[in-house]
Parts: sequence; structure tokens; C-alpha cells
Amino acid sequence: MPGYHRAELTAELRVVATGRAGEPSEEQVEAARRVAGGTGLAREAGPETILLAGDRREVLEAAMEIVEAALDAGAHTVEVRVETEGEADRFGP
Amino acid sequence: MSQTTPTTPTRVGPGPTTWTPGKVGESDRRPDGVPKVTGEFEYSSDMRLDGMLWGATLRSPHPHAEIRQIDTSEAEDLPGVYAVLTHEDVPGRKVYGMEIPDQPVLAWEKVRYQGEPVAIVAADHPETARRALEKVHVEYGVLDPITDAEKAVQEDAPKLHLSGNVLRRIRILHGEGVGAAAKADVVVRGEYEVGMQDQAFLGPESGLAVPDGLGGVDLYISTQWLHIDQDQVAESLGMDPDQVRLTLSGVGGAFGGREDLSMQIHACMLALETERPVKMAYNREESFFGHVHRHPAKLRYEHGATRDGNLVYVKARLVFDGGAYASSSNAVCLNAATFACGPYEVPNAEIESHMLYTNNPPCGAMRGFGAVQACFAHEAQMDKLADELGLDPLDLRIKNALKPGDRFPFGQEVPPPAPVREILERVKVMPLPEEQEVMGRDLRGLPGGVSNVTHGEGVKRGVGYAVGFKNIGFSAGFDDYSTARVRLTVEDGEPLVEVHTAAAEVGQGLLMLQAQIARTELGVEKVSILPADTRVGSAGSTSASRQSYVTGAAVKLACEGVRERLFERAREELGEPPDGLSVEAGNVVRDGRTVVPLAELLDGDELEETCEYHHRETHPLDENGQGDVHLQYAFAAHRAVVEVDVELGLVRVVEIATAQDVGKIINPQALEGQIEGGIAQGLGLALMEEIQVKEGKVLNASFTDYLIPTILDMPTVKMEVLELADPEAPYGLKGVGEPPTIASTPAIVAALRDATGLELTRIPVRPEQLAGVSDGPPLPDEPTPGGAGYAEVGRLDGRRET
Repeated sequence: MPGYHRAELTAELRVVATGRAGEPSEEQVEAARRVAGGTGLAREAGPETILLAGDRREVLEAAMEIVEAALDAGAHTVEVRVETEGEADRFGP
Repeated sequence: MSQTTPTTPTRVGPGPTTWTPGKVGESDRRPDGVPKVTGEFEYSSDMRLDGMLWGATLRSPHPHAEIRQIDTSEAEDLPGVYAVLTHEDVPGRKVYGMEIPDQPVLAWEKVRYQGEPVAIVAADHPETARRALEKVHVEYGVLDPITDAEKAVQEDAPKLHLSGNVLRRIRILHGEGVGAAAKADVVVRGEYEVGMQDQAFLGPESGLAVPDGLGGVDLYISTQWLHIDQDQVAESLGMDPDQVRLTLSGVGGAFGGREDLSMQIHACMLALETERPVKMAYNREESFFGHVHRHPAKLRYEHGATRDGNLVYVKARLVFDGGAYASSSNAVCLNAATFACGPYEVPNAEIESHMLYTNNPPCGAMRGFGAVQACFAHEAQMDKLADELGLDPLDLRIKNALKPGDRFPFGQEVPPPAPVREILERVKVMPLPEEQEVMGRDLRGLPGGVSNVTHGEGVKRGVGYAVGFKNIGFSAGFDDYSTARVRLTVEDGEPLVEVHTAAAEVGQGLLMLQAQIARTELGVEKVSILPADTRVGSAGSTSASRQSYVTGAAVKLACEGVRERLFERAREELGEPPDGLSVEAGNVVRDGRTVVPLAELLDGDELEETCEYHHRETHPLDENGQGDVHLQYAFAAHRAVVEVDVELGLVRVVEIATAQDVGKIINPQALEGQIEGGIAQGLGLALMEEIQVKEGKVLNASFTDYLIPTILDMPTVKMEVLELADPEAPYGLKGVGEPPTIASTPAIVAALRDATGLELTRIPVRPEQLAGVSDGPPLPDEPTPGGAGYAEVGRLDGRRET
């Protein structure tokens, strides 16, 4: 039962604080979330963090869209961490 | 905040369990049986370590709210408090989940269900920890909860998660679908509802985290799958999995409720923060908020058949309330969709299965997951259809029973053995219990028992049947495997086999099964089962009735490897011919003659093998819901005899008769235990077990108000088992844990219908339904969660908010 649908790829995206403000603006995070919500692959993974899980191509395309949305909203940095399912080798060959 | 004193004590656990087990096929006295009965067994909540602190959890009193502010300063100043942590202190991934990591370790901006963890504390005494929770001030902005899965799916419903409220949708199209409706002479329709059942394990969640002084942590925990816990804990601690070592502690039942994390990450965070061992143990009330439950469901069905009783088509729409987070809802949705038609030959079908997020308590794995809900509905439909056709309900089932070589509606060929007809026929010929005069009977034999509420007036008897099935093992393409390490050695001049796996003994008798296999395969008297931990490879979960199959196969494989090396040695050192050797009673033998004692052959050496067993590949469903999705199927049929006091709505289940397909009996006594225990849980769902949730709030988080069957509620169980070997499985066995739970519920409800003539479309069936009172007394307007009097970490509604 667990792991029936472990995603092929996951990507964690975090809109990073810019300048001296210490936190990214709400608008930048919201822009990223708005686009993420439309992908159907996204879950929240922290105050400024979005987690995408799904097929490799879908996740990569969605990640690109979200990064663009955040940059368009004024973000200077978006951290992206991409992992394949193969990393969890205790659950598969 | 109190000063920490770094200490890194080492916990000494109970150690290996060593005894002389029975062989495969024999009943065995379980080694943990006597200690459990005498109170000597160490459950996870019994663990102690010098210098340990107590952890406690602040939970949201609201099912849906924004978190505007969390102020921990007052709690931190309390003497005896060593740590107060929030989401900001989660060092790694802030969310977890077995399939979809969507559940916050500690909530940050929002809470999505009542009881969601918001902050954790560690203190030198549980009472200090409780007081500290009262001093954590959380400012909430309460939001309207979404509590109806049907509403959650609507376009204008607020989104609970970024990607909306639909967690999964599955559509199965088989044959012509409902296009075949014109071929049906008779059509019956029905709508059914299943309430939220709790696993109700007797040992609430607990564990002990011990920092190793080098930045890592050891966690002693009662769980169902050590390695998936390890993976998730390490991820959220921002550590390599090797730095997080897990050891199974005494488990007081599981039934699916321990598959998700509860306090694992929290205890480790507190231990690492304070550099002290930290114990967390939920009380009963908190336990209801600390684990997932069985999914409530609404199921709409349409069955069409020919006049002579052949099924033509089934149309079904199944809607499941997954609650706030994903847990294993994906798998539940899949099982429900694939088992929606029951173990019948259905030439045409259209099935939709929907899983939705709401603000109700999260739901996940529970014994029979997905198959239980569907079985209640498809079996009610079969009775309705039989009634419409004027056929005997059992004969209708037999007429449409699946057989090997047929196709399930999801396209997979039915593998042998699939003795659906046989188990139904066995149940049919089992003698009914003698009907006894009710008036003047000993009160203990009447519905209501010694409560003395009835003397037999208005008591009616009913008989009902049901058949169900369940997939065994993980499905849909998951690489399901288990690892076993087996070592043959000599101790005190006697050969000893040590078996080491990470498989969780949760009370089902897995220790015995592993030992029986080792004794059988290696012919030794003494077997030692090492504690399950993450020092050996994953064994997968103790769920989906899979451990006997998968871990059993891994142990067998490793034993065979050791045995082969033993025989090689006999051939090399003694010049024995290669064929015809076996091991018996501590000796290598040929034709019943001892060739050499094992102890002599080993000569002080050890032989060790570590093996992984992977079961046959399965595949996900395609876009039409077709695919070879499951590994193995196990079937069980039930007949229930009930007595109902139709005036008072009281029920006595007189007898359950069952026939089950088990492949091979490994341990007769353990098998009986599984069948009787599963029936008890099925009886509970039929008659009494339901978590009452109103507006997202749980009303009965205690065993005072959440009723579970006791020995007084259990009927006589007559059972017959069919040993038809599965050619792919070790010893031909089939998983046996879940099937007894699945069809026992609809059989009891069918018997209630037979006794009362009522339709009874919702479970659990309440007394007011049976007595003809519509909905019973109204529920209170203001729910009082946590009102059960268990207050060790503070009542949910009493925890301060500003």
C-alpha cells in the first residue's frame, strides 16, 4: 500500500529572501503558488516552499513555469532541488 | 528554558527471542503470549531511560484555521521545560507522507484538521510538559471547514491544497459499460454509506528517541514499517538515513493505524535539540487525533441482470473522504475501484472512484482498506437483486461467482486458486445454530445481555450471507520486497538459527511464522528471532496481509541458501553424493540415516545468508482502468445469524460461519486468531464502531464513547478453511489477515435486514435505525471534543488560544 505511487521525480522549490528584507515578498510566493496550483502536481512544503511530484517531464515543465512566475513577480532567487525516485533505493531496485 | 545536560545513554532492549518453535503447519505457543498476559511484555509506552525527558504535542482545536502567530516565550520560561519547537525548528523537509509528502511536521500558516500538531515541548515531567502546552499561545483565524467530500469536489469549493481537493480519481470501463443496460431484464439501484471506523489498537502511539552524541539519533518505536519511517524521519531531520536508526518496540496492535508517522519526527527533533532521550506517549484521547482512520464513503450502485440471475452490468460511483492529508488514500481509492463489483463475473462495468481532501480527520490504511467499503455496498446490491429476482441470495452469488481464467472488470485474469463458488457452498451446507426459545432465556443470551432491557419480547432472528476478497501484497507496479538475514551457528553444542528481519510483529504472530520456517527449512530445534530494526534491509510494511507471503518467502530463501552451503560442506568434507541430503533434528540425514550432526559439520563456523525476495511484477491501471494490478487474491465467505430486538434496536450476533481460502495453513492457532479477530472488527463496523465527526470535530475520542466489541459481543465462530495452494507463493500460502474483516460486516447487516425487513444502507447500523426511530436523539450543537476526561496533555478544547 504505501509507495504504490511514489513519484518518478520530485522537485522542491523555495522562493528565497532577497535583499535585506529577510523574507521573500508575499506577492512573489503567491505568484509561485498560483502557478503551482494549476499544475496539479503541487503541495505546500513550507512557508515559501512548494513540492512537485509526478512524471519526470511534467515535474520539470511545472518547475520551470513556477520559477518563471516567481521571477516575474520580482524574486531574485528560487532554489530548486530535484530528486529522482531512484534515490530512495531502499524502496526499489 | 532549563539547561541541558548532554547524556547519551544506550538503551538495552529485550534482545532476541529464542525458543523451539513448531514446524510449518503446526500450532505454536507464541513466545510473547505469556509475557503479554502477565504484564511483563514491554510495550513501547513502557520504555524508560535514565535522564529522559517527556515530549508532548500542542494540537489545533480547529479543523480549519489560519495560524497568525505562535508565541512560545511563556512556555520556554517554565522551569523544567527543555525545548519548545515549532515549524521553524524543523531542520529538513517540513512535510511528510508515505506516498505524497503533504502533511506538515508542524503546521505553519494553516491547520487543516482538528488535532493537527502545531508545537512540541520537552520537559522533565509529563505534567510539566502539559503545563507548557497551555503556555504556548497560538493566534488562529478560524475558517469554515469543508466537511463533505461531495462538496469538496465542487468547482467553487475553497482549495485545501495547492492542487485542489481531488486527491485521486479512477475510472474503470469494462466491456460495454452501462451501454449494456438494455440487455438487463432487472435493474436494482442503491446508495450506501460507511462511517469512519478507527483501528482502535490498544497500545496508543509511543516511542523513545535517544541522541547518539554524534549528531544522529536512535528511535525505538511501535510501527508497521521501520524503513519507511526511517526515510521520512531522516528527510525531515535533514539527515542521512544512516544517522537515524530505528528499532521496533513492543507494538500493541496496528491494523493500518501505525503506517503513517505520528510522534516519530517530533521525538527525534526534541531529542536532538535537548541532547537527552525523549519519550512521547499519547493517551487514548490523543491517539484518536494521532493516527488516520478508515475512510468514510458514499457509494452509489446500479446492478443489471437477466431474469435468470446472470449479472449483465454494474455501474458504481464511490466517493471517499480522505480527510486533510493524503496518507495512503491513493491505494484505498485503487482497491475500492478494483473490488467494486465483488468476486463476481461481471461482463460490463463502469466504475468511478473518487478520493477527496476535506477538513475531517485524515484517513488512511485500515484492515481491508478500500475493499471493506465496496463489499458492504456490492453485497447489499446482490441481496437486493436476489430479492427482485425471487432467487435465493446465496444461489445468486454462486451462479455469478468468479473462477480462475475469468477477467476482473479491470482486465486482469483471475489467477488460480479462486474458490469463490467453493467457499460459498461450504458456508451453505454448514448447519445453522439451533433456534432457541427466547422467552425465559438466560438474559446473557438475549440482545442487550445482562442490561436486562429485554426479556425476549420482539426478538426476531435473521440470517445473512456475504462474500468478499482482498488483494494480498502491494500492487500497481510497486517493487514489493522483503529482506531476511539467516545465520546458522552452534550455541552450547546445539545448532541455533538466528533470523533477522525488519518485519514488524504487531501481534499477528510473525515471530512464530519466521521461526517455524527456519526450523522447517534448517531442521534445528532452537531458533532465535532478533529484534526488528533498520540494521537489516527493508521488510516492507506489516499491512496488506503481505508479511507471511513476502517476509516468509525471504526467510525461506535465506534458509535455503544456508542449507545449500551446508550440503556443499557435507559433500566436500565427507564425500557425500550431491543428491538426497536433508536436515532433520539437528542432523544432516540421507534416507533417514544421520550423516553428520550439524554442530559437528559446522565445527565452530557460522553460515550466513542475506536474501531479498521480490514478488511478481504488477502494473498500474491504464487510462481505462485496465491492468494486471494486483499480486494475489484471497477470498472469504460469511454467514451471520443474528437476533434483533426490533423494539429496542438491540442486536445479538448469535453465530458467524465462515469459509476462507488460505492456500496453506502455516500455524492453525494463529490462523484461527486472525479469522476471529477479523470478524470482531467486522462486527464492530456493522454495529457499533464509528468516529462521530461534526463540522470537522471529533465527538467521541475515547473508549467510553467509541464502542468496540468485547468478548461478550463475540459470537461463536464456525470456520472452514480451504488449502488450495497458490503456486507462486511460499508453501502455497495466502495472506489471511484482512479477508475475515471484509465480508463479515455485510453478512451481519444482511442478517439484520432479514430479521427486520429494513433496508439498512448505512453502517454502523444504529439501534435507532433498527427500532424505526429515524435519526435518534439530536447531536449537541456545540461539540465537546476531548470531553472524555483524559487530560494528561490537556483537553483539545481547553488549550489556550489568544
